[in-house]
Parts: sequence; C-alpha cells; structure tokens
Amino acid sequence: MLEPLYRRFPALLMASRNLTRTKMRSLLASLGIVIGVLAIASLGMFGVALQYSISQNLGGIGNQVTVSPNPDAGVDNLTERDIREIRRVAGPGVTVSPVKQRIEPVAFERGENTSQLVYGLQQPAKVYNASDGRIPEPFQSGALVGSTIAEEYDIQPGTTITVNGTAVRVRAVLASEDSFSVFSPGSSIVVPANSFDQRGYSQVYVTANSGEEANETAMAIRGALNDREERVNVEELGSIVDQVNQTFQVINTVLIGIASISLLVAGISILNVMLMSTVERREEIGVLRAVGYQKRDVLKVMLAEATLLGVVGGLAGVLLSFLAGLAINQQVVNDATAVFRLGNGFYLAAAFTFGVVVSILSGLYPAWKAASEEPVEALRG
Amino acid sequence: MTVVDARGLVKRYRTGGEILEALKGIDFKLEPGEFVSIMGPSGSGKTTLLNILGLLATPTEGRVELNGQDVTNLGDRKRTRLRKQTIGFVFQHFYLLPTLTAVENVEVPRLFDRDPGRTARARDLLTRVGLGDRLDHRPDQLSGGQKQRVAIARSLINDPTIVLADEPTGSLDRDTGRQILDEFQRIADTEDVAIVAVTHDELVNEYVDRTVHLVDGLVGEEALDA
Repeated sequence: MLEPLYRRFPALLMASRNLTRTKMRSLLASLGIVIGVLAIASLGMFGVALQYSISQNLGGIGNQVTVSPNPDAGVDNLTERDIREIRRVAGPGVTVSPVKQRIEPVAFERGENTSQLVYGLQQPAKVYNASDGRIPEPFQSGALVGSTIAEEYDIQPGTTITVNGTAVRVRAVLASEDSFSVFSPGSSIVVPANSFDQRGYSQVYVTANSGEEANETAMAIRGALNDREERVNVEELGSIVDQVNQTFQVINTVLIGIASISLLVAGISILNVMLMSTVERREEIGVLRAVGYQKRDVLKVMLAEATLLGVVGGLAGVLLSFLAGLAINQQVVNDATAVFRLGNGFYLAAAFTFGVVVSILSGLYPAWKAASEEPVEALRG
Repeated sequence: MTVVDARGLVKRYRTGGEILEALKGIDFKLEPGEFVSIMGPSGSGKTTLLNILGLLATPTEGRVELNGQDVTNLGDRKRTRLRKQTIGFVFQHFYLLPTLTAVENVEVPRLFDRDPGRTARARDLLTRVGLGDRLDHRPDQLSGGQKQRVAIARSLINDPTIVLADEPTGSLDRDTGRQILDEFQRIADTEDVAIVAVTHDELVNEYVDRTVHLVDGLVGEEALDA
C-alpha cells in the first residue's frame, strides 16, 4: 500500500521501519503530540462554540440603539421634534419606539400600592411579543405586564390592575426574550403613551435589521441631534457584543497559549527519543555514511522519522479533537454538527501544523548530530 | 590500470595530549581483480590503513590515488560520492539494518537514487551469492554466513572497483568463513573487483593473492602469491 510512497520518498521507508523497531517508545513520543494537538484544537473549538453561542444570545442587541437625553447638557427629555428628527434620519426599515417612563403607584388585584416603573409606548407590538393575550394595535387602552410581574402577582390577560389610581385591564403578558435585550420586558408595566400627561420622552428604542444598519442609524442620529451640542446619548449595543467577543478572544488565546506548552513538552520528548535512537544506531548511521550516504541523506532519514512521529500524532490528535468538538458543540450550542464550521477547521489545521512543526524542529538537533558524526568514529563502536 | 596507489601514508592521532602515529609511512598498491589481505597485531594500523583506502579518513601525510585520480585531500561530500561509486564495504558484524529485508538491505546504498532497476539488481546479486530463496527475510531470520553474504551483495550494488572487508570472517565459524572467502575469490576472479581484507584469520591467506603484514605502522615482510 505504501510501496509507491516509499519509492518516491525512500527516506520514509527507512524512517517508518526504524520507528517500528521501538514501537512503544515511538508511540509514547507521538502520544505527546496527540495530547498537545488535542489540547490546542479542542480549546480552540471550545472558544468558537462559546463565541457562537454568545453571539446567538446577544445577537438581538447588536441591532438595537437607544437614544436618551443628556442631562449634562441640560436636556431632561426628548421632544416630539427630536422624535421626528430620529424618524427622519432612520431608514425606512428601522423601528423607532419613543418611550415615556415614570414611577407610579400600582396595585395588583386589590393589593397594596407599590411603586413601579411604568413605561408609556405608542406601539409596543414593535418592541415586544406577547406570551399570553394580544398586544393591541394601536395601543389605546389597557396595560401590558412583563412575565416576571405576571408570575409574581398571578396576572393573566383580563386581570384588572390599578395604575396611579386608575383601573386598567391587562391585555397581554409580555414574552420574556430568549436572548439578552436592553428592552427586557421581564418586570415592565407598559401603558399607552397618551395616558402619560408629561410631554417629553425619556428614551427612544431604535431597532434596525442588522448590526450594520444599527450603526449607520446611530451615526445619523448623532449627526442630526448632536450637531451643536451633545443633546442626546446614543448607545449602540453592538459595541457591547464586540467587547464581549474581544474578551473571549483574549481568554481563548491565553488558553491556547497554555495548551501550546503541552506541545512543547511533546517536542522535548521527541527530541529525547531521537537523541536516544541516534546513540543506539550510531554504527548503523556510520555504515550508511560508509556506503555512500551524504550527510544530508542521513539528515533526511532522521527528519523523516521526526516528521512521521508528528504526522501520526497530529492525525490522531485531529481525529480525537474532532470527536471532542462534536461533544463540545453538543454541550455548548446543542448542535453537534456545528463542529463543521470554518473556525473549527482552522483550529484543527493550526493544531496539526503546529504539532508537525514542533516534531520537525525537535528532530533537527538529533538529525544534525547523527549526520555530522564521522563514520570512522561511529564504526569504531 | 592500478586501482589504488598509495605512497608514504602517515597518520597521526592526537589522544589526550599525546600524539599517536598509527601509520609511519606506508606504500600500498592494488591491481584490478587482486585479493589482498592485511594482517598484523592489534594496534598495527590495519584498520587505519583500511579507512584511508576506503576514503573514510584522510592521511596526515602521503598521497592516495584511486583509479588514477588524486583523492588525498577531497572534501567530505566528494569523498562520500566517490566512495559510493567505487568502494564497497563488508564489516565483521555485518551491520545490516535489522528492520529491512535482505533485498532492501542490498538496495540501501542506492536507496536515494531514482533507479527503477535497483530492486532487480539487488535480487540478482543475492541470487548470485546463493540467497535466492532468502530475498524477503529479515536479518534476524538469517544465519551469520547468510548475513555476511547479504553484506557482500550490498557491497557490490554500486559496481565498485574495490571491496574493503574488515575482519569479514571474524564472526563466523570456520566452514562458513570458507564459504565467504570462496565468494570473495569468485568476485575477485569473475567480476574483476579488487578485494582488501583486514584480518587476524590465517584461513584468509589460503585464498588471497598476496598478504601485507603490518607491524607498528610499517609494512613488514611481504609474502607474494599464495
């Protein structure tokens, strides 16, 4: 099976036969490479899976921009004109939801009044989904409650609650989002914006279709409203996602760096094994030189041995890492087939390459030592 | 044409501050097809002479011509190439690679040459030394005499003009030694290969054309023609 390969690379023939001579030793030497490759590749793939699951969870907020008044500039709320301006600069596909908010006494089911943060929105259906009931459109009357509050006070659609002394019917319970969002509806109470008598808005939620669009919108809003002074704070949540991603990148790089140490150790063990075998095979190497092998031929044979150790160990390591990748992805993102993503391939290839390179580097010194031995000295025994 | 013409060979070693003179001025000539033995007590310089003739070492003084070419001061790379083309080696301990079959062992010197006829030639050589039925055996499946025949076949794979043998019968019993010496004689006679055997074994002298006695780095009496 390997005949044609050996014919093409005769050094491989001698190298592979030499390695089978001390099977256990060769096996242990490449086991080091297996472990090193496994450590690097599986940590890399773990990072990829983690990042993927984070971006899945945080994916939504990358599209979100919040605009709030800047109290440092003496702006306490956003005016109708600001809202119009924001709507104007935001693209047609972008949802702009102005929010009023106030702390009001709220009573659930004839209970005591408690102070709750109450939001006023015109079109809550654009921001929230209902888990129970229906969010009316347009939103003229009634109230919506977040799932946390609904659970705590046992509220269903149809229940009556009292907001600031006025009894209102609950129309819907808001679904808590799977993913993290600034507009988290968990403990919100939402009433129609027109039931607030205050004029300005405390915040504007802007939802774009993509992170890129959100970024463009944020820049446009800054340009339009902060022309002369910093009237509003525009927060892009995409940058948070970027920061989280960056942090994970750093952690992952450090972990892989630590894993690389195991490959270095493997390299030292290959160095050791090769040095032993050059000593043991001193006479054989002398014979090779006597029968006309140039130094570089001996070098080739020895380096082929180191390369073989690395390639065999690397392949086994890649195979094991792939299995580990399946398990990791099943655990982290609940989808074993996610192992086929490109990033994983990169880590597998990088770990394999690193393993082989370490082996070859470790083989260099013993190979050089073997090649530069004087045949007369070697044959003297 | 003379195969080897060495004149005034001196070899000095430095061993721990002392200078050891292994060869003290030796002339040595070898004709094609000649079978010569070099005898002498331990430390007489036999192996040193063989190493110089085999281009494994260079003399401190003197001059070596191989097939008319001055090879005294060649660099390692050129010496190695020339050694491969013109010289075959046979050792006392055979020095076969234990992981390779007989055929592969014979091929070893040419392994790095792109030569499609290599294997056929190796098989042919093994058949000629009487190992046609042992081609794919490993050294540990062969007897001492068979191993030495494999080594002889290996020494011939490059069509050398000289075969240098260091104690070729040293690890063999007397009968096996005779078979090996028969083989050498056949090669010298039919293939016109010059053979130099360094030995302690008086048996060798029954086969050689000439014996060179070395004593303390000098050529002693020369017994001509057996």
